[in-house]
Amino acid sequence: MVLLAAASMQFAASAAAAAAPLRVASLNLCSDELALRLAAPGQLVSVSRLGADPDETALATRARGLATNTGRVTDIITLAPDLVLTSRGDPNAAALARRLGIRAVEVSEPQSFADVRANIRRVASALGRSAAGEALVAEMDAALAPRVRLRPALMVSGGGLTIAADGLAARWLAHAGLQQQTVPRGQLNLERLLADPPQILVFTRYRSHQVSTNQRWLQHPAFAALPATTRRIATDGRAWTCLGPGLATEIARLRREVGP
Amino acid sequence: MTWPSRVFQVMTRLTWLLAALLVPLFAASLLWDPALLIAVARRDPALARTILVELRLPRAALAALIGASLGLGGAAMQGLLRNPLASPDVLGPSTGASLGAVLAGYFLGGGVLAVALGGITGALAALALLLALAGPAAGTATLVLAGVAISALGGALVNLALSLAPSPYALYDVLFWLLGSLADRSLPQLAIAAPLILAGAALLLAQRHRLDALALGEDVATSLGIAIPRLRWTIVIATGIMVGAGVAVAGSIGFIGLVVPHLVRPLVGNRPGAALVPAGLAGAALLLAADMAVRLPVNGQELKLGVLTALLGAPFFLWLVVRGR
Repeated sequence: MVLLAAASMQFAASAAAAAAPLRVASLNLCSDELALRLAAPGQLVSVSRLGADPDETALATRARGLATNTGRVTDIITLAPDLVLTSRGDPNAAALARRLGIRAVEVSEPQSFADVRANIRRVASALGRSAAGEALVAEMDAALAPRVRLRPALMVSGGGLTIAADGLAARWLAHAGLQQQTVPRGQLNLERLLADPPQILVFTRYRSHQVSTNQRWLQHPAFAALPATTRRIATDGRAWTCLGPGLATEIARLRREVGP
Repeated sequence: MTWPSRVFQVMTRLTWLLAALLVPLFAASLLWDPALLIAVARRDPALARTILVELRLPRAALAALIGASLGLGGAAMQGLLRNPLASPDVLGPSTGASLGAVLAGYFLGGGVLAVALGGITGALAALALLLALAGPAAGTATLVLAGVAISALGGALVNLALSLAPSPYALYDVLFWLLGSLADRSLPQLAIAAPLILAGAALLLAQRHRLDALALGEDVATSLGIAIPRLRWTIVIATGIMVGAGVAVAGSIGFIGLVVPHLVRPLVGNRPGAALVPAGLAGAALLLAADMAVRLPVNGQELKLGVLTALLGAPFFLWLVVRGR
């Protein structure tokens, strides 16, 4: 059974170049973003509801008019897709799609820039759009190319959650000239932030217009009391969810804001 | 009667002792982790002042006020309902307040004041529902059953409301609303909660002689000229205001309202009215201490207050059950 599935996958991969899928459904925000960038007009029929939500992705306008799904294969089965894109984080969806005879391609949660490039190429090749994939990889690499001087910074989102200093997000941030400081356990409280204020504080306005305790945290009066030596830089939190190629433009923008 | 003698009448030796205990606890909460404060003050005195005024002061003051409101509210409810299990967290007002605060904050987009008013409305609604369900002179079983049902319903509705809230972050807030926390509170939150809690507490304390009379039975109390329905509603409204305002700022914190009255009542001759002030002071002391204990590093994360108060309170609850068998 496993062999059969593997064999059929290989067959599907070799057939992809010959016949590009015509009805593509994506079930996950991170595959949505890749599909919205890479698919030919009319090729994509459905994205997840997050992929069409302007609070979650800058590409939401491109998803206008597409059917949205809640990330489940049952939502898209009536659309008769011939390719399902999903995340490796949800293996059941891909398995179910394959059992129903639909080709499924999974993007990984990237741990490195090589993973990001591999995801782009995997989706592009499945869509029969390898040229668009190479163009996107080149665009991303060009955005990452400039050499920068690193200065210590702290990126923090609502509730004091930070990015890991050794993770992919921090590596993206480094290309903007910002070296993420290590935070024990990945979460800050206001006292710790005030006691040891960073030179540069990068914060996200992700979902800042909607109430939650995490979001309230960023509005605490103590933030206004941070010393003037702490530079505050806002970033578009949406780009940091998938750490995909969409982050490249945001990194380039941050790099310009940080300065040489 | 002059003002000082009035104060001395309320303040017995027990209450002086408890009040004196509050001073070091409050100071310890304010000056927690002195090494950090000194290090910051050496580098940047203004920053150390910010930490003290904007973060430590609201935290310590809210712990004292909310602890006091829970102790007082519990003592008043136990006196009024003549039931040892009556308390804001067991009988529903706390979860009712959480629900009201969640609806006001996450759906109506209210600020600190609106969230406090939502909390008060929720607490009052839960109390009204409790009294309507169980009746004024209900037995222990009926009252506790009705209260547990209201609590469970309130908890489920808080969970549902946060699941339906626009922000995907909101669901993480279930823990806060049902277990409580005082981490990173702000001065504006203190400025809203403090007057409401103090007003409710004053209203409750004014009833203490009537509560003592009520302990002798409703007939005796009526013959002493006490209007029982009015007393009942005054206590319900005062408790609702205190609990609602506190929960709106710190989430619903369990067990203090249940345990503290039992700790102090034997020391005041089992008079419910006389137990009010010591219960308030002991509640404040207990929550101040609990809020310091949660700051001790446990796996790098701060515990929720309700976890700690339940750890302290549940064994006491069990002891209460065993002793009562």
